[in-house]
Amino acid sequence: MVDTESQDIETATTTLQSAPDAKTRRYDRQLRLWAATGQAALELSRILVLSSDATSTSILKNLVLPGIGHFTILDDARVSPADAGNNFFLEGPRSIGKSRAEEAVRLLLEMNDGVQGVADTRSFDSIMDTDKDWFSSFTLIISHNLHPTRLDKLSNLLSSNSSAPPLIIVRSSAFLAEFFIQFHEHTIIESHSETAPSLRIDKPFPALLQHALSLDYEKMDSTEHGHTPYVYILVKAMEGWKKSHGGNPPKTTDERKEFKKGILALQRNIDEENFEEAEAQAYRCWAETKVPSEIAQLFNDPALEPAAHAQSRQPFFHLLAALKRFTEEVEPHTLPLTSTLPDMKADTTSYIHLQRLYKARAEEEKAIFQTFLDKNVDIDEDVIDLFLKNAHGLQVLRGRRWGEFERDTDAFSGALASYPKETCIHLALSALANLTVKQPGVAPTAEALRGEVLAIVGQGTELPDALDEAIGELERAPAAELPNTAALLGGLVAQEAIKMITKQYVPIKGYAVIDLIDTTTATLG
Amino acid sequence: MLKIWSMKKNEDAMAKKKPKTSAAQIRVQKDLTELDLPETMRTEFPDPNDILNFTLIITPDEGMYKSGAFQFSFNINTNYPHEPPKVKCTQKIYHPNVDLEGNVCLNILREDWKPVLNLNSVMVGLQYLFLEPNADDPLNKEAAEELKKNREQFMYNVKASMKGGNVKGVQYAKVIVQ
Amino acid sequence: MSLSAAQPNGTSPSDWQDRYWHVDQVLEKPGPRTDPSFLAGREVQEFLRDKCKILVIGAGGLGCEILANLALTGFKDIHVIDMDTIDVSNLNRQFLFRPADVGKPKAIVAAEFIMNRVPGVIVTPYYGKIQDKDHEYYMQFNLVICGLDSVEARRWINATLVSMVDSDNPESLKPLIDGGTEGFKGQARVILPTITSCYECSLDMLNKPTTFPICTIANTPRLPEHCIEWASVLEWPKVHGDQKLDTDDPEHISWLYGVAFKRAKEFNIEGVTWSLTQGVVKNVIPAIASTNAVIAAACCNEAFKIATSSAAYLNNYFMLIGTDGVYSYTFEHEKREHCPVCGGEALEISINHDWTVEQLMEMLTEKQDIQIKKPSLSTPLKPIYFQQPPQLEKNTRPNLEKKVSDLVAAGGEVTVTSTTLPFSLSLIINYT
Repeated sequence: MVDTESQDIETATTTLQSAPDAKTRRYDRQLRLWAATGQAALELSRILVLSSDATSTSILKNLVLPGIGHFTILDDARVSPADAGNNFFLEGPRSIGKSRAEEAVRLLLEMNDGVQGVADTRSFDSIMDTDKDWFSSFTLIISHNLHPTRLDKLSNLLSSNSSAPPLIIVRSSAFLAEFFIQFHEHTIIESHSETAPSLRIDKPFPALLQHALSLDYEKMDSTEHGHTPYVYILVKAMEGWKKSHGGNPPKTTDERKEFKKGILALQRNIDEENFEEAEAQAYRCWAETKVPSEIAQLFNDPALEPAAHAQSRQPFFHLLAALKRFTEEVEPHTLPLTSTLPDMKADTTSYIHLQRLYKARAEEEKAIFQTFLDKNVDIDEDVIDLFLKNAHGLQVLRGRRWGEFERDTDAFSGALASYPKETCIHLALSALANLTVKQPGVAPTAEALRGEVLAIVGQGTELPDALDEAIGELERAPAAELPNTAALLGGLVAQEAIKMITKQYVPIKGYAVIDLIDTTTATLG
Repeated sequence: MLKIWSMKKNEDAMAKKKPKTSAAQIRVQKDLTELDLPETMRTEFPDPNDILNFTLIITPDEGMYKSGAFQFSFNINTNYPHEPPKVKCTQKIYHPNVDLEGNVCLNILREDWKPVLNLNSVMVGLQYLFLEPNADDPLNKEAAEELKKNREQFMYNVKASMKGGNVKGVQYAKVIVQ
Repeated sequence: MSLSAAQPNGTSPSDWQDRYWHVDQVLEKPGPRTDPSFLAGREVQEFLRDKCKILVIGAGGLGCEILANLALTGFKDIHVIDMDTIDVSNLNRQFLFRPADVGKPKAIVAAEFIMNRVPGVIVTPYYGKIQDKDHEYYMQFNLVICGLDSVEARRWINATLVSMVDSDNPESLKPLIDGGTEGFKGQARVILPTITSCYECSLDMLNKPTTFPICTIANTPRLPEHCIEWASVLEWPKVHGDQKLDTDDPEHISWLYGVAFKRAKEFNIEGVTWSLTQGVVKNVIPAIASTNAVIAAACCNEAFKIATSSAAYLNNYFMLIGTDGVYSYTFEHEKREHCPVCGGEALEISINHDWTVEQLMEMLTEKQDIQIKKPSLSTPLKPIYFQQPPQLEKNTRPNLEKKVSDLVAAGGEVTVTSTTLPFSLSLIINYT
């Protein structure tokens, strides 16, 4: 299923394509988000889910539909009458008494014949005792309301091995829920950042400067004049300004106003939108193009230390190292230019010409960038292009272990102050989980829950009123897995799983806490 | 549900009967009845009970297009004013901003449409095209080239086309009013 | 459903012991944030399972999810309207459909699937337009959930539900829960017609659809999109005359793609692909199962809370952005003062049976609390008297002498517009 690749734009636009094949049509609405590369990653993924309760099957539904490669459900439970009532991937009374995992796998697979699914009815504990490595054979593991003792074991196991898969931990009770991703390191090239790369109008490359200066407004007819792209207008205006201001750009507010006025003065009539665009974009002249601070920070990443770098086989860090050198050694010490040009008022010829100037320069800088790449590593040309195109939005995330948040007193008291409701929900869910170990089978009282919360945060800690509300809800319906809560978690967790698997978009950094009474979410830690 | 129903009782003041006529229909009524058209423009309703479909006739009293009568169809859908009215010239005319299929290049009919604009703004915009044809953003490129290169020739072509003549192989509609 | 079907705890013969074990935990006991009007236990269970009737508009990406969630939470009388048939591109998220269903009506296939999967739930499909149905039809429901991708359809149902509110009949207030998604983003909201802000109040929050100047398309294309619009807006009607462009027909898309491709080549523009062509002409919005699941669940959760009063409900707008972490924003969207749908109010007036239109207009101009200058009047069907434009004025002038009662039935509506009114005034006319 992995092999149908969408063509790259270059080929696609030089030869006429035939109508897309069945698979591309089926996945069309999602390929527009994560493209063929994201789809290929999904199709290579192997997901392990540690239950087949309503929340687990809701999550899986949203992963089977977009076409993950494989999933395994590990669940030794039999379908209870209550399960049959709240889980869409069981067939009501017909499923009662059967293996829950087998029923769920069968019904999940009906949705997409491109996906493999396995029901594993062994017990979690037996695998943990005899076949630990099995867990690491997956791309991603997801648990919902996993017994705390087992969760601790699993989280320990996965955090002790840096190549072990990420674990998404989901907990819920009635209207309240939370989830957290435990992982080691996560690098993102395609963050789909909403900021555009710099056009470098303040530091024009030679061909751009030369062309802008060659323009003579007086010799232009009205059509040419009204269709001169704002990039040229600004570059030209800026050169003029610098000449009469000792080489400096407009600095003070007054100077900037004057600069803008000068641009508008070039307008022959008020219909010339290109000069209005130039005025509106004038900030690009004084907003200096530099390496964005988030990217500069990545250059200090420990993975770039010479020793670490040699060991690390991840292409991402090879590319990052080359990027660092590029910004250090190549004038004007910015990220490599990209050929992405925004739309602007222009006629065809001038726009295409400008586009080609940018493209040619981007190619030149790419060639220089490539000379900085470690010769011993073989990196796909497509990956290099993608990396350079998205260089302004690169991210390196370093995860934390499950449970570290509570131990970090500063972070924790900060969260308690800024997100009292959500922090209390998180605490109450932890208390509920702890009670299932201490008093299995006993309905938790508000008092017991409060006691557990205090055991976590330390006696004497002052807790907001929101705690009573959270505890009250859990006491009301401690074991309720509401279909709507399950479905909502199914969506949110699947979104995060897709981001982790495709390495596109940015996954959550911390705990997502959800309150379905007020219908709010917040991120803690 | 009971909570919602009891709420309704408490907020009686706000619960006056609400209008049943569609928002688009009311808005068109408002636009039409507040039109302030000069003598050079008039509307014609083929079915006076259908206010969503009508014709606008522009008869410029100055400029190059003087003494022509130019017809535009207006079709308004129920998504008005979220969407602009659909306007087309129903005659084949020689104009830099109107193509031979009747498409009109007027920014507020497409990219610059905003719900705060109204039918009056569209009509005024259309009339302006006849007073100041714009050669820099053309739809009929040949006409625009002519206007830029040789204004005299362009005016001659306009006159010829308005009489129903043939300009560069294209037969135009007769729009001259006596 | 008749009351006789009711059994203890609102169970019916198709229910098995513990079927609602999970849901019942929140229906049998209030929580700290539950309204005091909550009738814990049997009464609320019976209402939800035997009496409540809910309408789902749209059986697509959101609709499939909504139907499944409602069925599992215990709504048993569900109606669904959708005018579309199933396309292969729906299968990545509309999980009630299979490849063999392509071409069949969504509403019907979805209803059958739910009834098969969740015993005892009745889903009544209608394959057609929401506009086919009248007030009486909408009046039968307690709640309406919308999962639509059309602004126009949303405006219509919103205006319809607002206009149905009758202060003498509390049950005429039909909460409208509306959801929408695009890629990793979405929103869900609760509209209590006439009480909270309505869909029309928030129209200005919508992104403007991208359109390009027609002269750019015709003469100075720069982007691949310009070439595609050239093919669809200018070339298609030129070549195909009256044949309508069907954006669901792959052959039509292929034709447009070929034409756009050629034009792009001619102008040295890169980037015209089959997929982009389809995206531009169909205005394709990226859509994934997971986002639909979040928004549909949020909508159904509100429906459940409103129907049962088991917990406070959303007031009134929830927005989710899932592209960078999980970011959401919950806020109260305020009513727009002069909203043309919920802002104007209908004024009930009684006039003499013999009054002419002119007399009515005089009253509108002179009456102390109205004082409208130069009013124009219409019924929902046609103009009564228009001040402008001249042709309509002339055409409607004879009506001035006619009796209002000959033009408007008792209890009928007259829309009044005038430059002195912020928007319009609606009159409900009765005769003495």
